[in-house]
Amino acid sequence: MTDSANANAGVFQDLTVVDVSGSVATSYASKLFADYGALVINVEPRDGFDTRRLKPLLPSGDSAMHGYLHANKHSVLASCTQFHEEPLAHTADLVIFDPDRLPNADYLLNIDTNTCAVSWYGLTGRYSNYKGSDATVHALTGLMRGIGTVAGPPVIPPGYQAQMIGGISAFNGALGHLLAQRLGNLTAPFQLDASIMEANMCFTDLGPINAYNENPLPPRMGINRFPPTYPLGIWPCKDGWLGVTNLTPGQWQAFCQLLGMEHYADIELFQSSVSRLESSDILEPEILQALAQHSAEDLFYRGQAMRIPLARVPTMEELFRVDQYVTRNAFSQVHSGDDAFAAPSTPFRLFATPPHFGGSVAALGAHTTQWRSRL
Amino acid sequence: MSHRTRPLEGIRIIDLSMGWAGPLATRNLADMGAQVIKVESCERFDWWRSWEATQAWIADNGAEKSPQYLYVNRNKQDITLDLENPRGRELLLQLVATADALVENYSGGVLPKLKLDYSYLIEANPDLVMVSMPAFGSTGPWSQFRAYGSTVEHSSGLPHLVGDPEQAPTMQHVAFGDAVGGLNGTAAILTALWHRQRTGEGQFVDLSQVECLFPLAAPGILHQSVHGQSPQRFGNAHPDHAPHGVYPCEGDDAWVVIQITDETQWHQLQDVVPSLTAFGDLNDRLAKREAIDACIGTWTQQRTATEVMQTLQAAGVTAAKLNNGQELLNEPHLHDRGYLQWLERDYVGVQPHPSAPFRTDAGPIPITSPAPTLGQHNHTILGELLGLSADELQKLEQQGIVGTKPRMPQREKSTQ
Repeated sequence: MTDSANANAGVFQDLTVVDVSGSVATSYASKLFADYGALVINVEPRDGFDTRRLKPLLPSGDSAMHGYLHANKHSVLASCTQFHEEPLAHTADLVIFDPDRLPNADYLLNIDTNTCAVSWYGLTGRYSNYKGSDATVHALTGLMRGIGTVAGPPVIPPGYQAQMIGGISAFNGALGHLLAQRLGNLTAPFQLDASIMEANMCFTDLGPINAYNENPLPPRMGINRFPPTYPLGIWPCKDGWLGVTNLTPGQWQAFCQLLGMEHYADIELFQSSVSRLESSDILEPEILQALAQHSAEDLFYRGQAMRIPLARVPTMEELFRVDQYVTRNAFSQVHSGDDAFAAPSTPFRLFATPPHFGGSVAALGAHTTQWRSRL
Repeated sequence: MSHRTRPLEGIRIIDLSMGWAGPLATRNLADMGAQVIKVESCERFDWWRSWEATQAWIADNGAEKSPQYLYVNRNKQDITLDLENPRGRELLLQLVATADALVENYSGGVLPKLKLDYSYLIEANPDLVMVSMPAFGSTGPWSQFRAYGSTVEHSSGLPHLVGDPEQAPTMQHVAFGDAVGGLNGTAAILTALWHRQRTGEGQFVDLSQVECLFPLAAPGILHQSVHGQSPQRFGNAHPDHAPHGVYPCEGDDAWVVIQITDETQWHQLQDVVPSLTAFGDLNDRLAKREAIDACIGTWTQQRTATEVMQTLQAAGVTAAKLNNGQELLNEPHLHDRGYLQWLERDYVGVQPHPSAPFRTDAGPIPITSPAPTLGQHNHTILGELLGLSADELQKLEQQGIVGTKPRMPQREKSTQ
């Protein structure tokens, strides 16, 4: 099934994906399909997906977050108590859902297409019925335990990061299995169980492995301080913030040269990342003093020229002016009614078959009549 | 156990990537059954094995013992080829001719110098999918700049959204960008393979690891775009909800996160924590955050984090303990799901491996093989697949073009 206004000869022009839940995670998974030309249909309840109420809100009162997640998709109002009775049901190659956000427990019974459940903790296991959130996932996976001051409390990562990770991971699993069907490796419809928690273990999988090998990570070391290296962090300069990472001896020596700290460059102890970390109380005052004498911009460009992985740490305002991101169209315009705003573009670019850059957001139920009349 | 066709069986991917992001991208495909052939060299081995290699480390077989290397390279095959040697380069091109895709995350300029950039690779295989994963993307003024996963996080703006407003912009992880880049790398390869499967056409795919973090910063980016100003940082508080935070529990560095986002959950929390009955509706709670947090903290400190989580979840309240690595090793929910699989490997014995984060059966997708040793599959790939004779392979080994033992690099390695 294709739709000329949406697919535009995109990579997924032969795919129809239906989202029946509208969590941030399911929305992001289906967004990646829509970005590359799949026909993505949101089957929404009368009051719309919850994403329609997420901040920030546009002057019209519509949600910019919803617009970002749902550009280039269709919106159809749900009309049946079971999905297989919906007029568009037989067109779906893949149905994405959050089991906590189905209209009723039997909604997906009797369907014969591929499904992808995206849930906080997976469909099985003792937490499968627990209430979840982005923060509970960051807590249980151990990411949060490492963020913040030594005394605590650890810091909650903001926004919907866990769901974004869950969404792209679900996209990977679903697309891999759809491809398996095209390759002839899989003949029957699949029912994928994608766990947001397990997807977010990508940040912390090394934790249990190191613990098993009796080499556990140390307790939280403070804001912007992590094993196994130093200097690593975000520090103030004369006019802004510089992100610093030194891992190899060569980077440390170059960094010392950049800051006029040559007297530390060749000290044997400091050629080891772990030894520098253990000596951070000695090194940090001098590093801070040196950084304060330079602009972050100047150090960034001079450092990169010396092959030191330094970074400007842009504010949200500065982000839109970074020439690298401007040059690459890293942000594109999304239109929602009469409003327009800039949102992140798709981060991976197929050169011959590029993704949509921005797009328009369908009003609630905008395609209901179209789909009912078509079928 | 009977053989069952795995989803991506028949797909062959040449993996030139090193570190975390690229190898994670290809590992996700290997987990689904793709044949991933990792290409290293004896001198330019994956720096994820060590960024501070010494002769003593080599003598101790340190290259085969790095946990971070082992868990992102399982289910793969490994060959060594000196790509700076014309014969090594030629063999890589022969291998590329048999492949569906190639993935790399070298610093910009490395592959052109080796005459192995896209223009050369498609001469060997016009239908090849090539995915490049540099930190800032393959185009633009920063395309040659160097970065680690930490640099990627720094450059994304995300740290300005995290933590307390009086603190410095706050990082979330030592190499946050790597894992996110890896997931996006998997998505990029699969998307291009879908197109190739449908049309027969390969293409070049460009992935900027920094841009992969922008969706995670979307609320801040959209706030800036809509309101013309950066959003305020709230630390662990929430501008619209209370109580909302991380609370101390019984024990050392033990914590629980509790979030109340509607009135139903608030009343459920009040049922469990009687001292909260003094507080009222949302406006009252937002005005009295500190007093409420103190009441909750007093209650949580008398209980273990697990006990608090179980009690509150049973009452319908969103809550979770904050795990560390040791606790994750013994996490009962992950145990229920069979998340950690155990594989034996030379040099390190039995090791835990995290499973793929999606499954179609009750159990996880089985992990079929541990990470290969350096050059473990030289004979399988170069001999059986490319047809080199035993004599030719021996000659390559004598010339140092292939091998199974690392050698100290002549100069410092690329970082990405």
